[in-house]
Amino acid sequence: MQELPGGFVPDWVSLVLIYWALAFPVRMGVPIAWVTGLIVDIITLGIPGAHAFTKSVIVYITGSLALRIRAFPIWQQSVVVFLLLSLELASLVIISGLTGEAITGMHRWTAVVVGALVWPLIYHVLRRSRHSSNLRGS
Amino acid sequence: MVPHAKSGFWRGLAPYLLSSILLISAYMHVGAVKVAASSLAVIGIPIHFVASLPSMTLAAMQGRLITTDQLRRQFEFLREQNLILRARLQRFEFLENENNRLRELLQATPQAVEKVTLAQLVAVNPDLGSLTVLVNKGSADDVYIGQPVIDAGGIVGQVTKSSLFTSKISLITEESQAVPVQVVRSGVRAILYGGGKNRTLRVMYLDRNVDIQPDDVLVSSGLGEIYPPGYPVAVVTAVERNVAESFMNIEAKPMSHLGRDREVLLLWPTQLKSSDHGSDAIVEEKSE
Repeated sequence: MQELPGGFVPDWVSLVLIYWALAFPVRMGVPIAWVTGLIVDIITLGIPGAHAFTKSVIVYITGSLALRIRAFPIWQQSVVVFLLLSLELASLVIISGLTGEAITGMHRWTAVVVGALVWPLIYHVLRRSRHSSNLRGS
Repeated sequence: MVPHAKSGFWRGLAPYLLSSILLISAYMHVGAVKVAASSLAVIGIPIHFVASLPSMTLAAMQGRLITTDQLRRQFEFLREQNLILRARLQRFEFLENENNRLRELLQATPQAVEKVTLAQLVAVNPDLGSLTVLVNKGSADDVYIGQPVIDAGGIVGQVTKSSLFTSKISLITEESQAVPVQVVRSGVRAILYGGGKNRTLRVMYLDRNVDIQPDDVLVSSGLGEIYPPGYPVAVVTAVERNVAESFMNIEAKPMSHLGRDREVLLLWPTQLKSSDHGSDAIVEEKSE
């Protein structure tokens, strides 16, 4: 009854950042993730720095392990994405708890699961767009 | 080969984490940072616009695809609805006049009706589906923090943050939200607490013998001076009296659509004056 459709929507920004960190680990680094996270924080009227923090962390991890993750089959990549998104959510919950803003409950984990499930889709769509614009991975 | 290995944790990540932490603590402790962040939110306008494009085109297409027959039926329906509402309003106006006269007799200031503005939900999902929604009105439209928000069903929540052109509404279902309410049937006052996502609202700290039962309508009582009195908030769904506990477990369901509609109404109540007079009246009674 009282569920917003928003509860199931994954964090597209993180998913796209993870993809580009896999494709271009050198060019798509922590600075871009930090700035993107800050923009997310500012335009959603959140705590400035919270998403900047979490997105820097997940892009750093993705970039460091990019060569290994790229060799994984797609379902295994989904597992990695699930772990990354969970890490992001856990740190967001901790940050919002420390700052005294509203902590929201377990429902956010649905968004994490959905994010991992749509990862194959994201992967194929973005790879096609990358190939059609002739960007070469490193 | 591994790209970050060159820069490593201390040069590649640590400075960014440190600056985020500094930013967060500055945001918590320095007021100027809050103001700066909310004025910077203006950069979101083009993003909000682009994000709303798909739903806008969908709505436009629906408008094109509708048949004359459907349109006529819709028009008929709305005309009927309008007639019924106007008939009800006549009675309401009569009651309001009477109410004002009685209040004058009691020397209490009439509760002025407030300014109302329509605000549209912004198609950007703040923060992974938390219990907040963004709307397209901000401090440029005189939106203030703590402003009550309603929709056709009842109270939605209150504004908890506002930038120049957007503001964030915390729904009454959020854990940190509480609404002072009154049971319409019995006049019992209570406080309604949000339970979090997918959980019911709860009325807490009501004694076992208080008169409340399922299907009771809870309206805002006007205490707390955030929500104006008389707006429907929730319907009681379950009342559990446990002999072992001194308070009842009461669950309630919100009457508003909680931001699932595309539009909400922002209210500007002018209740401060009336509540001032109300407290004066109480003081006078006591002195007599």
